[in-house]
Amino acid sequence: MVKTNLTKFVRRVHDTRDTEISCSVCLDLVSQYVDLEISTGDAAGKLPQVKQHLDQCQVCSEEYQVLRQLAVLEAEQRLPIDEELINQLKK
Amino acid sequence: MPGTRSNQEWLDALSNQGIQQEIALEELRRLLLRAALFTLVTHLADLHEMPEEERLALAEECAQEAMMTVLVRLGDFRGDSKFTTWAYKFGINIALSRARRWRWKQVSLDDLADDDGTLNWFQRDERLQTADSEQPVRQREVVEVIREVLRTQLTARQRQTLKLIAFDNVPMDVVVQRLDSNRNAVYKLLHDARLKIKQQLVRRGYDLAEVMDLFQ
Repeated sequence: MVKTNLTKFVRRVHDTRDTEISCSVCLDLVSQYVDLEISTGDAAGKLPQVKQHLDQCQVCSEEYQVLRQLAVLEAEQRLPIDEELINQLKK
Repeated sequence: MPGTRSNQEWLDALSNQGIQQEIALEELRRLLLRAALFTLVTHLADLHEMPEEERLALAEECAQEAMMTVLVRLGDFRGDSKFTTWAYKFGINIALSRARRWRWKQVSLDDLADDDGTLNWFQRDERLQTADSEQPVRQREVVEVIREVLRTQLTARQRQTLKLIAFDNVPMDVVVQRLDSNRNAVYKLLHDARLKIKQQLVRRGYDLAEVMDLFQ
């Protein structure tokens, strides 16, 4: 079933906490979160407030996803070279 | 090659003077350009009307801005992640914000402004229908509570911001720019709105897990 905006909003209301970290704090912690995820697989357990923010905040979540992709490629020594990226950017 | 320096080696090289610093700065510049290029490539849909030479210029601008941010914030680096991961996030943050704003620059948010106060936007496109005959009734009850909170307990600015981000899918960065605000303030505004709705549902005796099940 396709989740409607109302469905997504009700889930966000359900998951709302009395206190939530701001986008700035999330940005501060997200690199640690990503590296924990890659090294231990348990970032959400160690930094639950970051996981909670990422579930609520679309823009921070998108940035986290790109950061994770890039960090994984770096860890696997599979970073794309600039020329490849520039060619893709021109498409 | 990123990852060949330890965190401490990055900090030492960037903090020192001379040729070692110059080499480290050039390495950092390349690293941030890669982050910007990678980010824009993963979000090409945001740039589909941008000429290709402008795309490359945008990546370079983002890398330059990220470089300044990294150098200003170098003292904040605590070593609880790899230095490269820490640096990448600034390049990604800047590049994604710029890409989102580009995509939405032609769209007037005034056209998406709250209407006549009927809050019709709140329920549009929703299909509150199911085989269970009681479920639509209970869904409508919950929707009415939410609608009432929106109408009576949120400010016009809160209502408008919530509409744009949660129901019109306008990226927060775009709303932040148009409101001349910042992400933290807009996030807090949304959080306050969600919390008021949640508290009102609880106060009226709703089990939140059941409420969520109603809309799955």
